[in-house]
Amino acid sequence: MQATENSQETDVRTDEELVRIVVGGDVECFEVLIIRYQSRVFGMARKYFRNESDAEDVVQGIFTKTFQKLSSYKGTAPFEHWFMRLSLNACYDALRRKRNRPDQTISDMLFDDESWQDRLSNIPDASDRVGLEEARELVYTVLGQISDRARIVLTLQELEGRSIREITEITGWSESLVKVQAFRARKEMRASVERFLMKEEKL
Amino acid sequence: MKSNETEQQFLKLAKTIQMDERVPDGFQAQVMARVREQHALEIRSSDEQFLRFARNLPANEHVPYAFEKRIMARLRDLLTPDPLTLWSRMLWRAVGPCLGVMILVVLFSSEGLVDTSAGQAAGELDFETADFETVMLASFDDLENTW
Repeated sequence: MQATENSQETDVRTDEELVRIVVGGDVECFEVLIIRYQSRVFGMARKYFRNESDAEDVVQGIFTKTFQKLSSYKGTAPFEHWFMRLSLNACYDALRRKRNRPDQTISDMLFDDESWQDRLSNIPDASDRVGLEEARELVYTVLGQISDRARIVLTLQELEGRSIREITEITGWSESLVKVQAFRARKEMRASVERFLMKEEKL
Repeated sequence: MKSNETEQQFLKLAKTIQMDERVPDGFQAQVMARVREQHALEIRSSDEQFLRFARNLPANEHVPYAFEKRIMARLRDLLTPDPLTLWSRMLWRAVGPCLGVMILVVLFSSEGLVDTSAGQAAGELDFETADFETVMLASFDDLENTW
């Protein structure tokens, strides 16, 4: 089993070749694509979904949808772009569906022993799993207060460092819409941070 | 002693002078503008600090054990057709041809009815009815002859 996985990880065939083979009928080759992209997709999904089972459901849905839509991939753009765009849209759809279920609120996130400034000033070490989880929780909670579109744009632009043009390519939204959402995202994030600080001051 | 007295007098005089509590025009607005500016700066710096923090946080790219196997099993399930689905699909496909045949039959039968009604006179119809009756009852007539 391990040997098979390793051979799939080191598969030299390009994504486009693999897509052609899968569309041609050899479904088993899709596993190579899954192994190639699953960690990135999990990383992306966990930025939007805190709950592990939610993230898993979304990733599973992304790969199933990719498989079903594989024949519509024309090969004009790199597969990676096409796939990441599909993944992001799936995350956006899932976020919208999930909106009705409230997650964590700011007041749940305030810790008695540490102030906001203290928490932001030190990024936990990679070995400190609990610290990292808490830090991710904090980021997730602050970003959770922002509207879905704005959150996606903020994540892509500010956290992943992508340009407006790249974001338009990934999301399929117009440049002006991305700019508006980017502006709104900063404003909403500022308000969210302000709410955090105000809650902390009250305590 | 004399200096002490002078000091006391001075203090007495100083106490009689009322405090000048006049506020310059727009002072309050000026202070509030500064406070707001300071607050905005704090927020902005917290906001920047938060973004820096979020940016430097490593993404959690952990993949659950044998996740790809799970996906592949699900895809294989999707590819294996369910007999009921196949059956319903076939039924749906048969709807078109069946409707076509039904329409043709209706058309042919209505055309036949029109032809017969147009070509037949009332007398002819009576004659044919009598013929039909004779043919239908022929076997009974034969039976009577046998007994």
